[in-house]
Amino acid sequence: MSAFRAILAKDLRTELRTLESVPAMALFAATTFVLFRFGLDRTALEGSLAAGVLLATVLFAAILAINRVFVAEREQGGFDVIRLAPVDGTSLFAAKVCVLAIYLLALELIAVPVFAILFAVGAAGLAPLAAVLVLADFGLATVGALVSSIAVNSRARDLIAPLLLLPLLVPVMIAAAGAAEPLLAAGGPAYGEFGQWMAILALYDLVFVAVGYAVYDFLLED
Amino acid sequence: MPALPLDEAGKYVAGAYVAFVALLLIYVAIMAARLERINRELGELAEIAEQGDDRPAANPAGADAGAQEDARGEAERQVFERERSSRQEVVP
Amino acid sequence: MSFKAPRILPALTVVTLAAGFILVFYFAPNDADQGFIQKIFYLHVPLAVCALVGFMVAAVQAVLHLRSGDPGWDARSYVSIHISVILGVAVLITGSIWARASWGKWFVWDEPTLVSFLIVFLLYCTYYPLRYAIEDRERQARYASVFAITAGAFVPLNFIAVRLAETLVHPRVFATAEGGLTPKMTLTFLVCLVGMALLWQTLVRFELAAKSTRARLGRLRRALEGDEVAAGGSRIAPVPREAPGAG
Repeated sequence: MSAFRAILAKDLRTELRTLESVPAMALFAATTFVLFRFGLDRTALEGSLAAGVLLATVLFAAILAINRVFVAEREQGGFDVIRLAPVDGTSLFAAKVCVLAIYLLALELIAVPVFAILFAVGAAGLAPLAAVLVLADFGLATVGALVSSIAVNSRARDLIAPLLLLPLLVPVMIAAAGAAEPLLAAGGPAYGEFGQWMAILALYDLVFVAVGYAVYDFLLED
Repeated sequence: MPALPLDEAGKYVAGAYVAFVALLLIYVAIMAARLERINRELGELAEIAEQGDDRPAANPAGADAGAQEDARGEAERQVFERERSSRQEVVP
Repeated sequence: MSFKAPRILPALTVVTLAAGFILVFYFAPNDADQGFIQKIFYLHVPLAVCALVGFMVAAVQAVLHLRSGDPGWDARSYVSIHISVILGVAVLITGSIWARASWGKWFVWDEPTLVSFLIVFLLYCTYYPLRYAIEDRERQARYASVFAITAGAFVPLNFIAVRLAETLVHPRVFATAEGGLTPKMTLTFLVCLVGMALLWQTLVRFELAAKSTRARLGRLRRALEGDEVAAGGSRIAPVPREAPGAG
């Protein structure tokens, strides 16, 4: 438990001090929104288009963070420290999942209002949308931490991580978009299939947390 | 009896089965190519192995225990030496 | 360890598949909805089922590899994925032809199994660049096993998600693939399924035998030429002589 807290505190403190990841992600998201405005030739979005643009942007911004989340460990020997210390490798995994989830939540705190403003999205659906995003972020963070650990010790690591990540995240996209689309609909939020999609997101999160816990020690072996 | 209407539908069904067989045959061809490569490598290695055996045979009279030789072993050694000397002319 | 080439298995495969195809064209009745086009189902679905089961088998073999450290399990896991990906290509081609024949388009997003399969196929295609990107053999094997397990957990999740996404919007197109099979059709389907499973196993055994032979050649070359020669055999999932754990 203390290892988990130590790693989490270290990473959050570093981020607060250097402001490397989250501002970059937020800027990336805002610029991507502008790209979408011109790419889709629309100034207002609703329903499936709104859900798709928002979620795709969050996904790609997440890749930025995921590529970087283990760089410090690799360059400063953090992996060796974990290996030598009498500490469960899964503490590192849990800490990194939380770090990524916090980064994504921070990103969304900025990006979702910007999105709503830029594309005239109705505010009524935004509160339940937050719930969808929380579950989706957790899934992104879990799979991201897992894939990043695999990629960080390989050669073309900035290439391998997104390559492995995107197919794995398709169910998150499907479920999150499925839940978000009726929430952002023109006539106001609808909740018909909300529970079902949230259940899928929760199932996804559970499965990959379990997988991560089961295999993580093997990734840390020398 | 087979229902084989050779209209549009038939062509697609045939196409699917042909694609399957084609893929299978491509795999067989790839395996055959690998077998060729393995055989070639094996040939090369066999040659290297034989060359390696030639050198220790440079002193046959001294190396043998003497009493164990039979006619066949003698004949084999002679063939071996003939091959070695002929190969030494070829190999630089 | 050395993997031997199969003897009876290929013959058994040919017999079963031939019997299956004969049943398809001489025994199974035409489908009420799709007519003759439905015959592709007997090719496409068994291939898909075998590929997906193959991916799950690879995940189990990966677990065994992680637990035992035996590189033989890693070789088996790699080959299982490799052959399943090859079957996957066949699935996508036959599925595409089926879509074209039924709907005039070479790909339809309405058919959840086809879409899920595309996603799974894309995921397992990333297995190869992953293996090539890691040079240390033990690490490569371990990371590949982790990937195989993760991807194996992903497959059922993906199918659930895609199916939910599609059925809520469009009705199942190839509904005959699920229900509405007459007993004759079911028998034909089962024979084809068994045939494809045998085919999968045959290809896996051949692939393992080829890898094994190449590894032995590499060792032989090293023994004859000395250690300056680069290690023979594959960089990917090499087959060792002795397995450190259970054989």
